[in-house]
Amino acid sequence: MLPFIRKISKTVLRILGVFLLISVTTPVWAAGPPEPSIFSNPLALTFIILMILLLIIIGILGYILIGAADLKLKKEKRSTPVAASAMVLFVLLLSSSSLFAQGGTAAEPAAQTAASNIGGMAPSTFYVMAAVVFLELLIIITLLLNIRFLLKKEKERIAEPVTEAEIAKAAEEKRNHLSWWDKFNSLRPVSQEADLDLGHDYDGIRELNNRLPPWWLYGFYLTIIFAGVYLWRFHISHTGPSSKEEYETAVAKAELKEKEYLKMKGENIDENTVVFLSAKADLDAGKAIFEKGACISCHGTDASGIVFGQPGVGPNLTDDYWLNGGSIKNIFTTIKYGVAGKGMQSWSSTYSAKEIAQIASYIKSLHGTKPVKVKDPQGELYKDEETKPATDSLKIMNDSIKAKDNKVAMN
Amino acid sequence: MQVEKFYYDNKIVKAFGIATVVFGIVGMLAGLWAAIQIYYPESSLNLAATTFGRLRPLHTNAIIFAFVGNSIFMGIYYSLQRLCKARMFSDKLSWIHFWGWQAIIAAAAITLLMGVTTGKEYAELEWPIDIAITLIWVVFGINMFGTILKRREKHLYVAIWFYIATWVTVAMLHIVNSMEIPVSFLKSYSWYAGVQDALVQWWYGHNAVAFFLTTPVLGLMYYFLPKAANRPVYSYRLSIIHFWALIFIYIWAGPHHLLYTALPDWAQSLGVVFSVMLIAPSWGGMLNGLFTLRGAWDKVREDPVLKFMVVAVTCYGMSTFEGPMLSLKNVNAISHFSDWTIAHVHIGGLGWNGFLAFAILYYMVPRMWGTPLYSKKLATNHFWLGTIGIVLYAVPMYWAGFEQSIMWKSFTPEGQLKFQFLETVTNIKPLYIVRSIGGALYLTGAFFMVVNLVKTIAKGRFVANEEAEAAPLVKEASHKKEYWHRILERKPVTMLVLSLILVAIGGLIEMIPTFLVKSNIPTIASVKPYTPLELQGRDIYVREGCYTCHSQMIRPFRDEVKRYGEYSKAGEFVYDHPFQWGSKRTGPDLAREGGRQTDSWHYNHMYDPRTMSPGSIMPRYVWLLDNALDTSSTPAKIRAMQTLGVPYPDGYDKIANADLMKQADSIAANLKKDKIETPSNAEIVALIAYLQRIGRDIKAEPKQAIAENK
Repeated sequence: MLPFIRKISKTVLRILGVFLLISVTTPVWAAGPPEPSIFSNPLALTFIILMILLLIIIGILGYILIGAADLKLKKEKRSTPVAASAMVLFVLLLSSSSLFAQGGTAAEPAAQTAASNIGGMAPSTFYVMAAVVFLELLIIITLLLNIRFLLKKEKERIAEPVTEAEIAKAAEEKRNHLSWWDKFNSLRPVSQEADLDLGHDYDGIRELNNRLPPWWLYGFYLTIIFAGVYLWRFHISHTGPSSKEEYETAVAKAELKEKEYLKMKGENIDENTVVFLSAKADLDAGKAIFEKGACISCHGTDASGIVFGQPGVGPNLTDDYWLNGGSIKNIFTTIKYGVAGKGMQSWSSTYSAKEIAQIASYIKSLHGTKPVKVKDPQGELYKDEETKPATDSLKIMNDSIKAKDNKVAMN
Repeated sequence: MQVEKFYYDNKIVKAFGIATVVFGIVGMLAGLWAAIQIYYPESSLNLAATTFGRLRPLHTNAIIFAFVGNSIFMGIYYSLQRLCKARMFSDKLSWIHFWGWQAIIAAAAITLLMGVTTGKEYAELEWPIDIAITLIWVVFGINMFGTILKRREKHLYVAIWFYIATWVTVAMLHIVNSMEIPVSFLKSYSWYAGVQDALVQWWYGHNAVAFFLTTPVLGLMYYFLPKAANRPVYSYRLSIIHFWALIFIYIWAGPHHLLYTALPDWAQSLGVVFSVMLIAPSWGGMLNGLFTLRGAWDKVREDPVLKFMVVAVTCYGMSTFEGPMLSLKNVNAISHFSDWTIAHVHIGGLGWNGFLAFAILYYMVPRMWGTPLYSKKLATNHFWLGTIGIVLYAVPMYWAGFEQSIMWKSFTPEGQLKFQFLETVTNIKPLYIVRSIGGALYLTGAFFMVVNLVKTIAKGRFVANEEAEAAPLVKEASHKKEYWHRILERKPVTMLVLSLILVAIGGLIEMIPTFLVKSNIPTIASVKPYTPLELQGRDIYVREGCYTCHSQMIRPFRDEVKRYGEYSKAGEFVYDHPFQWGSKRTGPDLAREGGRQTDSWHYNHMYDPRTMSPGSIMPRYVWLLDNALDTSSTPAKIRAMQTLGVPYPDGYDKIANADLMKQADSIAANLKKDKIETPSNAEIVALIAYLQRIGRDIKAEPKQAIAENK
């Protein structure tokens, strides 16, 4: 068994080789997709880290397996097929790292369309990454099974009779041996255990008086120092931000970024500048949000105010009557800010200004569609002078934002 | 010296052992059921008693106090006698303790399912049960100390230090946190309000983990692990340092459950730094466990008892490392309110507490029945099923927590929230399903154990009174110089007092300023007491356990302010007895729910959440539509609130119900406008009144004043 153990400990050194291998393969992959977004996705990042970790484990297990196989073959045939098993390992490693590469490249086109996604990743990326992880797990299981099989053989052989003296010598060696782990923990050899025995006996339980593991003790000191520095920084020198300051910084930073983004895209729309968007793409986008989002649960799929055959919470949006004004600006305002206490919530945190303009335009475009069943008119008659000629107008109402509670049955 | 002959009482150990197994299975079943409800809400059967909000407290209480509680008593009654070389102080007290504790569990199960709760996590039991717990705890204390005092062993072994610290600290925590003013036989209000209530509650809640799930179990480890491995304990010196450091530091860490909340920043920072300092003392226990196995690892491969112990101690090490990491504010910002916390506690619960309890059972039963275990193979299978169960439980929950939290915080480049809350929930449903599979595997393993133990018992003969002998303790006037701690180990009462002083310090330093210094909770003039109807509605909110899924605490983060509204201020909660900040967001935060939806929306949503938000996993609360509100309790509730300092005018209790009906009528009329007919005295009306009130007061405050607060 002993040479085998030594062999394993040698493999620890060889792990360096695995690191090298990974550091060779990963940059190749990292350089592949120029789209940096994948790295900003934490789930993807977790996946990548997981993949690398598993790869390292595969590397270690692979070396152990080679060691075990090496030992076995040496004993059995006295020949040297180490190279062969090393080849197997290399193939394993390379195949998994090439899978890696596929994962990266597949992500690129998918990430840009990203209409539906899983945890902020394109589905294909997600599945490829999950598949890689799964595959790596499979490889690990296979390696473990193989190692177990080889070790079992090894154990049986070792169990075969050796001379008593040899056994005693091996045992003695083991009792005196200190591995790096033992040294790391300041452990004494098992053979010196008697010196540490305090002579306590509680229902047969004895106690040793081992030294505190140094890393533990100094770790403890370190956390105490951390505590002092932390309190000093946040409450005495005030060089660290309070919760409130942290919040204010985050908001200010984000606002600046948003403004820049919108300026760049030329989409700085608000209720004063919004206009009816007649382009088909805009109306379709508005329709999609209307039907996919929460609008239909109050206004009905056809905006008739009828939900599941019953009058819904919201009014009919296809007729001439409006509770909060029927101009594009009014509708935009109603969606953006909501109407407090009337069931219409503010959607400004859910949809962008552009999207709200699209929804409002879509709603405008529905005017006069005359669904089969509609909810009774609510609010005031509104006639739009700019877009469509009124069909049944009596008089033109102003479009100020007034909620007339006394007239309203719903909301 | 004359050797005395005496007998260990195994019968009481057997009784606690049976209770451990029975309540373990009950508690796990409740947990599994609750886990299934999260992705299949119909499995609540639409019954009040079996809905998540009531089932979840039942699960936590059953696991903590019934399963782990009984397992602790089982282990203590077994080990204490042997470590003191004495029979328990009084058999009568043992049995009062046993039956008293089981009666408390039964009362807890019934009242929790009835919706009788104080609304404070892991302290949900109402005041009569709280008093019963105190009495039984004292009985246990007398019995334990009686045994220690009549011991035949000169020094106290480390396991007993842990038992002593556990006893005194749990007593302190339970009494302080259960301060409540009774309104009726089964209803009380917490003595503390808002921020203070939160601080006391999490001081208790965190240390329920520390002194009920950790220190006594460490004590058990110190007895059963060296016994099972037949190896000497690794380091006596480490025992001393990690014991005293652990109990002193643990008590401070409670505020890490309240990071970024309205709790003053200085208290939060104390929570952070003491949590970080906890790593080493906690790991001291793990090291002493694992290094004790040095030279016995070949046995671990063979012996299921040691297998369970190794995984238990490893899980202990993992969760006590993870805990301090989760206490760092930047990590907590991601983990808190998500399933990450759930994963974290289950590593501790399933791994550490569960596996150690199983190990002890597998160790003791063959010894008390004088026969080898029926099947080692079955026990090993139990071990593997349990281990796989833990992995299948924890990994999906870590994933779900991380993913959901990141989704909550995602913005579009335009500065809009990228995901609606519901999307973040439906997205992790598959992970909830995998989690319940993990839980089911773990439970299956427990059934394996039942079979194994029953077969073992059938094979053997129970030794009710185990013979033992030891020399009596004589007072010797030895002037030999002893190590200082050895002297302490001869003085159990000194040890008790010293422990109490050490654990009292942290709590006092955190609580006294929060209660006395005004600037910690700045007053907001527009925050007014609840109306009688809202108060009744709030009690329904508490009764249905809404806090198990909904928080009422908006943290000062960009995404939370965007999603829910202005972040929560300390002054907003001054009339909240008890506070309802919650610890998990399975549903969205409700701190600014008032005025967000219409009355009819809430009505329909309570009747069937999926009509208002398709895909929602919230259970239905149909009974709220039918139940009539019990207004006879209103005057007593108003009076109790007045006693607690809520400024209702004198004599308001007499006219409160008139106000209540007026408000109820207006809500009913409002619902009628939306074609919903409901009697004004339905419970749903009161609940709507409360929901429409939450978080609104501050909106009446001028903007300047809000900015100045906090």
